[in-house]
Amino acid sequence: MSEAMVTAERGRLRWLRRLSGITRRSPTMAAGAAILLVFALMAVFAPWITPFDPEAANARNVLAAPGGAHVFGTDGNGMDVLSRVIAGAGWAFGIAIPAVIVGVLAGVPLGLYTGYRGGWFDEITMRFFDALRVFPSIILALAVVAAAGPSLFNVVLVIGFLDSPVFARVVRAEVLALRHSTFVEAARAAGNPTWRILFVHILPNAIQGAMAQTAVRAAWAVRISATLAFLGVGIQPPTPEWGAMIRQGAEYLVTGQWWVGVFPGIALILMVLGLNMLGDGLQDLLDPRRKAATR
Amino acid sequence: MSLLAVEDLHTHFISRDLDNRLRVARALNGVSFTLEAGRVLGLVGETGAGKSLTATSIMGLLRPPAVLIGGRALFEGRDLLAMEEGALNALRGRDISLVVQSPKSSLDPLSRIGDQLIRIHRAHRPASEATARTRAMEMLGALGIPDPPRRMRAWPHELSGGMAQRVLIALALMNDPRLLIADEPTTGLDVTVQAQILDLLRDRVRNTGIGAMIITHDLGVVAHYCDEMAVMYAGAIVESGPVRAVFARPAHPYTQNLIGATPERLKIGAARTVGGTPPNLYELPAGCAYSDRCPLRGADCAIPPRDVALGAGHVARCHRLVAAA
Amino acid sequence: MPIGKMLLRRVALVVPLLFVILLFTFLLVRISGQDPVGLLAGPTATDAEIALVRASLALDQPLWVQFGVYFGRVLQGDLGASWLSNRPVLGEIVERAPATIELMGWGVLIGAGLGIPIGLRAASRPDRSFDQVSRFLSLLGFSVPTYWLGLIMLFVFFYLLDWAPPGMGRLNLMLDPPPFFTGSYLIDGLIAADWEVANSAFRQLVLPVICVAIIAAAPIIKQTRAIALEVLGSDYIRYARAQGLPPREIRAMALRNSRTPVVTFIGTEITGLVGTTSLIEYVFAWGGLGQYGLSAIISGDFAAVQGYVLALALFSVIVFLAVDLFVMLTEPRAGIAA
Repeated sequence: MSEAMVTAERGRLRWLRRLSGITRRSPTMAAGAAILLVFALMAVFAPWITPFDPEAANARNVLAAPGGAHVFGTDGNGMDVLSRVIAGAGWAFGIAIPAVIVGVLAGVPLGLYTGYRGGWFDEITMRFFDALRVFPSIILALAVVAAAGPSLFNVVLVIGFLDSPVFARVVRAEVLALRHSTFVEAARAAGNPTWRILFVHILPNAIQGAMAQTAVRAAWAVRISATLAFLGVGIQPPTPEWGAMIRQGAEYLVTGQWWVGVFPGIALILMVLGLNMLGDGLQDLLDPRRKAATR
Repeated sequence: MSLLAVEDLHTHFISRDLDNRLRVARALNGVSFTLEAGRVLGLVGETGAGKSLTATSIMGLLRPPAVLIGGRALFEGRDLLAMEEGALNALRGRDISLVVQSPKSSLDPLSRIGDQLIRIHRAHRPASEATARTRAMEMLGALGIPDPPRRMRAWPHELSGGMAQRVLIALALMNDPRLLIADEPTTGLDVTVQAQILDLLRDRVRNTGIGAMIITHDLGVVAHYCDEMAVMYAGAIVESGPVRAVFARPAHPYTQNLIGATPERLKIGAARTVGGTPPNLYELPAGCAYSDRCPLRGADCAIPPRDVALGAGHVARCHRLVAAA
Repeated sequence: MPIGKMLLRRVALVVPLLFVILLFTFLLVRISGQDPVGLLAGPTATDAEIALVRASLALDQPLWVQFGVYFGRVLQGDLGASWLSNRPVLGEIVERAPATIELMGWGVLIGAGLGIPIGLRAASRPDRSFDQVSRFLSLLGFSVPTYWLGLIMLFVFFYLLDWAPPGMGRLNLMLDPPPFFTGSYLIDGLIAADWEVANSAFRQLVLPVICVAIIAAAPIIKQTRAIALEVLGSDYIRYARAQGLPPREIRAMALRNSRTPVVTFIGTEITGLVGTTSLIEYVFAWGGLGQYGLSAIISGDFAAVQGYVLALALFSVIVFLAVDLFVMLTEPRAGIAA
């Protein structure tokens, strides 16, 4: 066996070992990742694996009970519930991932700058965040989306911006701890401009805490976008979005056609649960403060 | 029979890394020493040498990932390490007391000082509330705390560091223990307060005939307040004996390095610097743990050295030494 | 410092916050670029109504005068009229608040009653099976959509089993509310010795309260566990062990030291639960403030939204003050504990 092959073999083994190590330390996180993998596969391969077109109505076959060709039954428009549940995974990721990216892009620089600058700007930003906390996030999101109009773009933007204080706070706390460290002082003495110190010297050291939050924030994004759709202000039917499907299913629950609302709800729970489980493990693994508290 | 005889104590930290590999840090590797009643033993060494771990192992207070691997700790002939948790717990705070280095955070923040003193007394002795209260006030007075009745009503956060350390000593002495273990009792206090606290501890030992073990990294404390000393390195005692003998003729290269030549080192609180990095407990060498930092290293250092008796109870563990006749 | 003075100081700090929130909601209407008159009068307003609103808002004056007029009216308790119901907003808020407080009160009480003991038990033996199970349940609670839980409850206990009444408000429609005493139909029914009302109020409460309690318990379990773990790992607990205090006393000490942080956490959590409760109200047609706020926001009933936002802020402030008071009374470090 050539040396390169040996190294490759070791690399693969190492990867497996790391996997088993993480699974051992945090089975929750591994289970969460597994759930997400299933949903990701569902989202990517939805066009090939959905038995029916998720948005094809069939007036002659409405509210068919689960079984037969329609494993999860059909909804009030005769659309196949299973196909819609599968297609919903794509919408959930499609909102959560960009929303978290918006949250990080808005929150991380803000946290960097407020933490580094301090002073009145920092003070006002933090007081503003405090004031936001007086209101439940769903009320804030609902108010802004209702005012701005219920488009996918608006929903993503609003969720992202409402998320940004979380990232800003985490990064700011790290920056406060790093601001007077030797390497930052050295970078400043060497005449680096502020933006360079912030992004090149401080950010790589402060980013871990923010990364630990991403999965939990994604879980929140999936939840809140579904809630908005459930209230009728988010994504609108017949788009196969889980919250909108639950809204449709709500009226049939008290008349016995449970499958319309139950299946998308279960999918929603599982996905949010997967993200929360992953997030819990990530926080334990990446957040130095939490690690110290639990060990 | 010695008050405390520790024999071949082994404690390891056992954990798994992210690659699921077992990692074992051999933190204590055969610690042995004895302490007689009425004597003060100083346990010295750098951070990570295993001084505090020795105390927690003896008192049965290890928490994961620390695991006791073997050894005996005979307290008045009874092996603490083989004792049931209930029996050992009854001993702790009554016969063996501990004073720790962070007095302010070690007091229950939601109990008044007096209540804490009374609580510890009544947990171990069948005393009435009133008797315990009287005893608590006497104890505070005996430790030079002014106006005991007022202090009894104080909350921990109202105390200064030095005052909190006195209260902690009062707590440790409430039940007339026969063995007192003080783990860095004066770290973080200012120098005059340090001296007062240590004087107090020493007087107590002299007057009551109990045995005391002071854990410190401060050679000045050892020189001024201890009768015996034991130097720890990488989880083992490399040299021990009467303080005078060890200071007069340090035998182990590590002790020599520690004590150095300058008399300033003997001042309390003086900075102590030793060259080289502390040993990696995960990969201790098979032979002498100090060999990679030792100026006298030779080929034989790959073999574990044995204790060499140097006379009058002075013992050191090094290949370069010759036993006294 | 005497407790009254300390509380007064806190209240004094709160006034600017309320002022800022008022300014904020005021500006939101003006800056949104939409016609404030249209927003406040609603899409069905007649020309006469619009003229009336325009005059009452002093819209021909500079912005700060407009705010002064608005602020003056709020101080007099005039929050405007909802165009959905055509009734004064203040009256509707006062009328609906007890419904929300009753639902949330029972929900938080039961949620804390479940969550705190579970969290403590989990922390006392970390990583054992009880801890694992409770951590998973807590994560599940974080993940269940509030409204879906409510719908499933209705489906199972109303439709399938017929154990619970339909989700149609606080009381059987055939019954009159009891005379007002505490605002809770259950308690007021008991006080008035009207068993029929009390029984109906209880039956209506069960499902929504269970939903709120489940959602409330999840973070309480997680946080109580974390707080208790931190306390158990603290220097003073370790020292208490080293002193051989009996396990019973150590448990009591840990409990006492966990109390303040847990209560503080629940206080901050209640604000977030307003959102949860609103959704439950929506599903169970509860008719409380939460449902009022949701429908006001969705339909763009701006006077009602302003009033609702103000009520929320006031509620949060009261909760924070109550928590402060508790901390002051139980923490010697706060300086006035008995």
